[in-house]
Amino acid sequence: MQNIIDVQKLRKEFKSFSSRSGLKGAFRDLFTRNYTIKTAVDDISFTIKKGEMVGYIGENGAGKSTSIKMLTGILTPTDGKVVVNGMNPHKEREKFVKTIGVVFGQRSQLWWDIAVQESFRLLKKIYNVPDQQYEVHMKDVIETLDIGPLLDKPVRKLSLGQRMRCELAAALIHNPPLLFLDEPTIGLDVLVKLKIREFLKRINEKYGTTILLTTHDLSDIEALCERVVMLDEGKIIYDGPLKELRENWAEGKQIQFQFSEAAALEELQILTKEHLVVWEKGESDLIWVASVDSDETVISGVIGKVTAAKKIADLKILEISTEEIIRNIYVEGAVRHG
Amino acid sequence: MDYISIFFQYVGQYLKTRLTYRADMVVEIFSDLLFQAVNLVFILVVFGHTSLLAGWSKDEMIFIYGFFLVPFSIFASFFNIWDFTDRYIVKGEMDRILTRPVHSLFQIVLERMELESLFGVITGLVVMFYAGSNLGLEVSWYDPFIFILLVIGGALVYAGIFISLATIGFWSDSRTDIMPMMYNIGNYGRYPVDIYNKVIKYVLTWILPFAFVGVYPSSYFLRREEWYTYAFLTPVVGLVFFLIAVTLWNVGVTKYRGAGN
Ligand SMILES: Nc1ncnc2c1ncn2[C@@H]1O[C@H](COP(=O)(O)OP(=O)(O)O)[C@@H](O)[C@H]1O
Ligand SMILES: [Mg+2]
Repeated sequence: MQNIIDVQKLRKEFKSFSSRSGLKGAFRDLFTRNYTIKTAVDDISFTIKKGEMVGYIGENGAGKSTSIKMLTGILTPTDGKVVVNGMNPHKEREKFVKTIGVVFGQRSQLWWDIAVQESFRLLKKIYNVPDQQYEVHMKDVIETLDIGPLLDKPVRKLSLGQRMRCELAAALIHNPPLLFLDEPTIGLDVLVKLKIREFLKRINEKYGTTILLTTHDLSDIEALCERVVMLDEGKIIYDGPLKELRENWAEGKQIQFQFSEAAALEELQILTKEHLVVWEKGESDLIWVASVDSDETVISGVIGKVTAAKKIADLKILEISTEEIIRNIYVEGAVRHG
Repeated sequence: MDYISIFFQYVGQYLKTRLTYRADMVVEIFSDLLFQAVNLVFILVVFGHTSLLAGWSKDEMIFIYGFFLVPFSIFASFFNIWDFTDRYIVKGEMDRILTRPVHSLFQIVLERMELESLFGVITGLVVMFYAGSNLGLEVSWYDPFIFILLVIGGALVYAGIFISLATIGFWSDSRTDIMPMMYNIGNYGRYPVDIYNKVIKYVLTWILPFAFVGVYPSSYFLRREEWYTYAFLTPVVGLVFFLIAVTLWNVGVTKYRGAGN
């Protein structure tokens, strides 16, 4: 199948200028200005095929939004190649954006003071959507998102959840084959989240819409995406099936020790040096958590070593959640491949 | 063309919204009128003492002011970009604009239009007719067409200068007071340039060509033949400055960095 998104060695640097202090400094700033370069997106490469739903994840500041802005033609890349829907987004911007839909969770596409319906009508004009296509397609969208009763209210009178559903509808007015969503569920309650997920699944199935989604909320990804691309400090540190990510890491277990007296990291690391263990401190010096492979010999080995050397008040073995898997990946900085 | 029908869709929406806040609109029109009256009084006061200023009579000055109001009001209705940096760059609203399939500058013109300012066109025409009949000016059949051409030229001069200034925001989003300053400089175009010294006259003609919004085009209707070359240069200067501005804008868009966090 064809690639809808093809990104090769894509890079974005932000220069930030700093001013020198004092009059002399200001004078020198006139000629040469001090600046630092921040690499927000650092030579990333990936491709996305038609009909895929991909989760784009990473901590705050990892470079997710910056990548999306380059893919949608908002920002010009510092270097590298982007081809989306067969076009170079920032070069042929006006033609290109007709083929994509964009939702930014923190930003509104709709006009604040006018009824939702009027916003839709303006967007219909802007995207030059024929009446008939609009009628058929939007009727379906409006029904599925259940926003019919909101259409004559001005946007400023809507709750966040209501507004987000309208934003989604607005992004789909021209029925684009590719949809970018940047934190679409931020701040929403569970019911609205569920509704939005259901809707995204549906348009993916019905229209074959390709979806690239960033989110803080891993349950969104778990519900929707088979594939995740994980970003850390501008670099891709994992790109593959969510399932594999889970298997490689979720096979692991966490052993939580509560000691009778304070323990130190080095001490624990020396004790368990024969095994692959990641130690993390809990709420106090007394509580420590060991993340290990879920291999019986490792688990009993670690427990054996630790209990032999230190007094223990309590001991728990926990399954690792996806959330923690991801956090562990960040702690180690890279993904172990199984 | 698509752009024209998009334009009218926006105008329709604008009127609909404005008519629901009728009181605001009345206040705005009234304050515009008041402002124009103050400017007129200023001219009358200046001429209370002298009846000729550098060879220009009171009625000629009033006529120039009347003419100036027309392109200026058109500019003020459609190019509200004095707060562009704040509104679109610092707050990152440009992100939204750039995800839509219409030229970004055109979208901003549509979003920020203030059609109430068009009342200034009527005020301007009234003032011109008043001064013109005092002066006994004659009007030929083709003068209205020339008038329209010169008005468009003048509005483009204003638009070109202010768009160019707004594009600075693409490179640097630090605050400057350059916009209000430029509004003040623009007012100098309302008076005959030969009352200023050479440097100012040169600047108002070639660098910040505000003279092409007031004196130069008016001199055609005042039948001041010594200024005719300048009068007919108005559309050319307007076009050149506007095209420069649009080019700067298009380059600026590629430098847009988004709302920094
Ligand atoms: N306009 C900008 N100017 C300077 N730095 C920026 C700008 N936009 C983003 N950055 C920096 O780039 C990095 C990535 O930001 P972003 O893409 O917003 O991350 P994410 O969306 O993953 O939270 C951050 O360190 C951020 O501070
Ligand atoms: Mg972000």
